[in-house]
Amino acid sequence: MSTRLMTGALIVLVAAGAFASGQAEPVGDQPVTIQIAYPVAVDAPVAEILDGYAEEFMAQYPNVEVETIYAGGYPDVKTTIQTTIDGGGDAPALAVMLATDLFDLANAQYIEPLTPYLDAMDDGQAYLDDFLPAFLANSSYMDEIWSLPFQRSAVVMYYNADLLQQTGHTVPSDWESLAQTASDLTERTGDTVTRWGIEWPTGWPYWLFQPLAMGAGRNIVGDSDTEVYFDTPAAIDAIGYYNSLSHEYGAMPEGVQASWGNVVPNFVSGNTAMIVHSSGSLSNVLSQADFEVGVTGIPGRDGGSYSVPGGGNLYMVSGLSDAEKQAAFDFAVFLTEPARAADFSIRTGYIATRESAFADPDMQAWIAEHPQAGQTRDVLASAGKELAVQNLGEVRTIFHNYLQAAFNGEMDPQAAMEAAQQEADAALEDFR
Amino acid sequence: MTTRRGHPLLPYLLILPTLVFVLVFTVYPTIASVVGSLFQHRLNIPRYREPVFYGLGNYVDLFSSDDFRMILGNTLRYVVTVVPLWIVTALGLALWLSRPRFSRLRVAMFHPTMLPMVSAATVWMFFLTPDYGLFNEFLRLFGYTGPENWVSDPNRALWALVIVAFWKDAGFYMIFYLAGVQNLPRDVYEALKLEGAGPLVTFFRFTLPLLRRTTLFVTTIAVIGAFRIVDHVFILTQGGPSGRSTLLLYHLWQVRFDSLNVGQASAITVILVMMLLVFTVTNFLVSERRTGDA
Repeated sequence: MSTRLMTGALIVLVAAGAFASGQAEPVGDQPVTIQIAYPVAVDAPVAEILDGYAEEFMAQYPNVEVETIYAGGYPDVKTTIQTTIDGGGDAPALAVMLATDLFDLANAQYIEPLTPYLDAMDDGQAYLDDFLPAFLANSSYMDEIWSLPFQRSAVVMYYNADLLQQTGHTVPSDWESLAQTASDLTERTGDTVTRWGIEWPTGWPYWLFQPLAMGAGRNIVGDSDTEVYFDTPAAIDAIGYYNSLSHEYGAMPEGVQASWGNVVPNFVSGNTAMIVHSSGSLSNVLSQADFEVGVTGIPGRDGGSYSVPGGGNLYMVSGLSDAEKQAAFDFAVFLTEPARAADFSIRTGYIATRESAFADPDMQAWIAEHPQAGQTRDVLASAGKELAVQNLGEVRTIFHNYLQAAFNGEMDPQAAMEAAQQEADAALEDFR
Repeated sequence: MTTRRGHPLLPYLLILPTLVFVLVFTVYPTIASVVGSLFQHRLNIPRYREPVFYGLGNYVDLFSSDDFRMILGNTLRYVVTVVPLWIVTALGLALWLSRPRFSRLRVAMFHPTMLPMVSAATVWMFFLTPDYGLFNEFLRLFGYTGPENWVSDPNRALWALVIVAFWKDAGFYMIFYLAGVQNLPRDVYEALKLEGAGPLVTFFRFTLPLLRRTTLFVTTIAVIGAFRIVDHVFILTQGGPSGRSTLLLYHLWQVRFDSLNVGQASAITVILVMMLLVFTVTNFLVSERRTGDA
């Protein structure tokens, strides 16, 4: 190699080194502004709560400015992040998006792994271990941690405990007793139903359906991120049971019910005896119901209690400067501190994400006063995995389409689930 | 101001801002979509994160999918229903409310237009609630005893979207007809009165033909509007049940942002643009030819 070439190469190397070190300037006290994108279409005043946390954080970290960006629901936040990054703009540093969005977000490089920052913490592993395992299950991919649990919930069944007691019923413990109780509690005047025994929304059905399939013996998703189990006898029996609640027992409105927003008002006004919904509605239910509310998992076919977690995690969006990344991570950790996790849980009804949050004095006082908050956590103990696979959008749409066809009686459950399995396998083919 | 050859420069300068706008925001994205639709470009699959040439593969995939054909069918049924409803109602309202003493009623008819679609759809979600929803109560006044679960019934969900879109935008299209009706030549109508022409003859032989230009304009923007509105799908049905109320634009969103399939989303965009282009050009040519005949 000629000297000239060597010199040239050296210059390039030095220049590149200087450039790289210029990029990786250590985080100092220069002011840095980060934004956090947050979905507010939930049953709690989260905007107000989050603004308060941002104020507290800025008081503690005077060089960081936190701006909150509120969008409608989870899809709106995700679309905002996607369009901003695809368009080459500056996306918010942090975003609360569905825990199950992990694979698509990471594959498309919309998000940044948190592992380097967790490793740099004094007690990173202890910090992670403190999260409830069911919630942290959606954070690992490709040997990295990508998100921190924040606004988390679980599928639960709310029941009108006073009504059950007055009518001499115990809390349903299996499919048979659930159907029988729901049937007994349904009231009709002539042809008009004045009280439904149970309501089970199915406008966006996979989530509330999963505990049913689990209760029949098999979840629709396993450990692998490229396998689904739609055509198992468990899923098919679960559809049969769901349909029987209306067809045989007359205890539930018939067919698909896009009733997510209606069932909580129906329940608290006493017009529905039991509802299947998110634990995220707990505070709302408790504050509005003038009767004793019970919370439990979904009974299995032969007993047991089943549920799946849901809700959103904190993600760090890609394309940030080092200073922004550090500030974003600090804020994310700040938001998940035990006292704050407890406070958030008390004020919204979402389940506190960390073990130590349940040791918080405020939390203990709250649970003593409202045992239901503790019951939602017990439900989690038996929770399985939420449907989270590669190519989730497509797989979920396939499942919804066939599940709803089976609920509406357009297809036989077996035929519907076989078709769903076939199409889902095709949609996952590219990822195996 | 002219160039050396004597071409006037000023007119070109005057249309320049519009031209730049159209090039940047219409022509360029359209061309980019056509090019993009020829590639396998899926952000959530590492080997397709950078576009890979796929020929007409995206189109083949789309048209060989039963779901996509159903979505096209949904969209056409939706447009073919809601556009005539809008136009007939808008014209009827305009003729009725063109007299000055009805000016307050005009505001009443126009007000749904001012609501954001999201709010309108949310309000309608409660109207359409089974059992106690206002819409079913209203229908029961006329003896309706059929199914009440509009948004989740496979044969009704699409019509629920039509109802909401109709309610929301009929007043908007009325405004254009009002302008047209108020510009109708008075002398023609005085002459018709003297001749003793009946209302049917007046309407079909004079009013309607005189409003042809307005109708051309309104049908064009109404069809584009019908394809373009999508918010009520998000709020009311999410395209369900079983995709029965999925419209083309909603599907485009799903494919692009839910499935991260950029190539296929581009192909859907091209299909959407082609459909609108074919309609607009046909509509324009037919209308212009009739003007020539007259």
